[in-house]
Amino acid sequence: MNDMNGCIHLNNFKAAKGVNPYKVVHAFFVACTSQEARMYKATACLCFVCSQPGPRLHSCLHCIYFGCYEGHMQEHSKTKKHFLYIDLNHGNVFCAQCQDYIYDQELADIATRNRLKGAKSLGLSAPFMSWVPNANEAAALRRLRKRRMISPNTTIGLRGLQNLGSTCFMNCIVQTLIHTPLLRDYFLGERHKCKPSGAGKCLVCEVSKLFQEFYSGAKTPLTLHRLLHLIWTHARHLAGYEQQDAHEFFIATLDVLHRHCMNGLEDVEKKENGRCNCIIDQIFTGGLQSDVVCTCCSGVSTTIDPFWDISLDVAGPGSLQACLERFTRAEHLGSGAKIKCSNCRAYRESTKQLTLETLPIVASFHLKRFEHSEQIDRKISTFVSFPAELDMTPFMSSHRRAVDTADNNNGPEGVFEDNRYSLFAVVNHLGSLDAGHYTAYVRQMKGSWFKCDDHMITRADLAEVLDSEGYLLFYHKTVLEYECDV
Amino acid sequence: MTVNNTIAHQRLILTGDRERFKELLRRRLIECGWRDQVRMLCRDAVKETEGNNVTLDTLVTRVTPRARALVPDTVKKELLQKIKTHLLTQKEH
Repeated sequence: MNDMNGCIHLNNFKAAKGVNPYKVVHAFFVACTSQEARMYKATACLCFVCSQPGPRLHSCLHCIYFGCYEGHMQEHSKTKKHFLYIDLNHGNVFCAQCQDYIYDQELADIATRNRLKGAKSLGLSAPFMSWVPNANEAAALRRLRKRRMISPNTTIGLRGLQNLGSTCFMNCIVQTLIHTPLLRDYFLGERHKCKPSGAGKCLVCEVSKLFQEFYSGAKTPLTLHRLLHLIWTHARHLAGYEQQDAHEFFIATLDVLHRHCMNGLEDVEKKENGRCNCIIDQIFTGGLQSDVVCTCCSGVSTTIDPFWDISLDVAGPGSLQACLERFTRAEHLGSGAKIKCSNCRAYRESTKQLTLETLPIVASFHLKRFEHSEQIDRKISTFVSFPAELDMTPFMSSHRRAVDTADNNNGPEGVFEDNRYSLFAVVNHLGSLDAGHYTAYVRQMKGSWFKCDDHMITRADLAEVLDSEGYLLFYHKTVLEYECDV
Repeated sequence: MTVNNTIAHQRLILTGDRERFKELLRRRLIECGWRDQVRMLCRDAVKETEGNNVTLDTLVTRVTPRARALVPDTVKKELLQKIKTHLLTQKEH
C-alpha cells in the first residue's frame, strides 16, 4: 500500500498521457454518467477472451481492452507490457509492477465527480459525504481545545423550561423543535446569518441563541420570555395570558420562523419552482395532492398544495395508519356538493381523494382531539396507537395511482423509494379542555427518550411514549437523500 | 451465463436499475451494521499479517468468506424478492 500520490508508474503514465484516459473509462464504464454510457456498458463490458461480464472485469488504461481478473487481464498486461488497469466495479487503478491497487488523489477526485454525475443522471440521491473541515475550521479546532464527548448516558441538549403561567403549550413545542435532528444541525452549524436590521426582532436569531443555551452544558431551567414576546409581536392572535392550543402555536411558530428566515443574509430570493427554500420549508413542507374526479366523464382535476402538518380525525379507537388510510381514501362528495367539471362544463357530482405528492423530512400529525361545535366543546380521549417506525409509502400519490389502476404496486419507483419515518417527539395534552396541561416526549438520541414537563426532565422509555395518548406526533425521515451540484 | 441471463443483465445496466439495486443494497448493509463489521474484519486481518505487505487480493481472500456469511438473511431476502418482482414485472419489448 502507498500514500495518496500514486506510484512512480502511474505518475509516469499521467505525465505522458494525462488523466484523460482514466476520466473517459471511468465516466463510461464505471460511473456511467449518461444514458449513452449505460448503453456502452451494457453491451460492450465483456471480457475479450471469455466474453463474460465478470468476475471483477478490468479495463486496460493503455489501450482498448477488457479482461476479467481471473487471469485474462493479467495475461494482456504481461504480453503487451500494459501495466495499469482499472477495476470497472469500483474504479480503482491496479499497477501490475507494484502488484496492488494504487491510491491517487487526482484520480479519486475525478471518480467522485463522475459518481455524482452518474447518480444525478439516474435521479438518485447523491452519496453521503462526511464533513471535512476547511482551513478556517481546522484552525478553529486546533485553537479551541475544549471537547465535549457524547457518551451513551449523556444528557447533552436537555434542559427544562420554566412555566411563565400557562405556557406549557410553548414549552412542549420548543422542546420538539430543539430535538428535531435537522433543525439542530442547522442551528448548531450557525447557518443563520442575520442582517443587522434583524437584531432583536428576529425569531430565527432567538431560536439560534436557544440552541446554544440548550447545548451549553448548563442544567438550570430556561425562561423563554423573549421568545414568547417575539411570537406575541409577530402572531398577534396568540397574545394573551391564557392557555393556547399547542398545535396552533406550532403552526404560528413555523410561520413566523419562515417569514424571518428572509432576514438572513444568504436566504434572500432562494425560491425554487415557486417553492420557498428556507430551512423551515426544506424540513417541514410537503405537497398534498387533491384529485377531484367527475362521476360523469371521469375527468380528473388535480391540485397540489403545500402543507406543514396533517390534521387527522379521531373516529373511534384505531391506529395512526388507519387514520391516514381514511385521510387518503376517495370520498364521494354527494349531490349537495356539486363541483363544476371543466370537461363537462356543468356542475357534477364527484369524488375527491387526498394523497401525499411529496413528503416533508419531518412529518407532523395532529390528532383532532378537540371538538368545537355549537352545542359543546369536548375532548376526545380515544386511544390511537402510533408506531415508532412508520412507512409512508401507502399514502403517496404515486402508490395510490398504481394500486387504483390495478398496475403492480411494486413498480420500479416503489422498489427504490424509501419512505420510512422514525418517531422523535410526541406532544400530549393531559386533563380536560379547560384545565389542561401539555407535556412532550422527545428522542434525544437513538433509543434515548425523555419526558419534558416544563422545568422537569425525566428519562422515559419507548414503551411509555407509545402508550401515551398522543396529540401531536412528529416523525423524521429515517434515511436522508442528498442533492449535489455537479 | 445463458442468453437470457445476459439479456437480463444488460437490461439492468441499461435502465440504471442495477445501479439502483446496488444503492439499495449498500444502504441496507450500512443500516444493519454490516459495513462496520467488515471494516473491523479488515483491520484484524491487516494486524494479523506479518510485515507490512498487505495487498487488496490477500485481504479479499481472507475477509470475503466471513463477510459473506455476515450478510443478514433479511437483507438477502429483501433484495432477492425485489429483484425477482422487478424482473417479472418488466414489460417485454
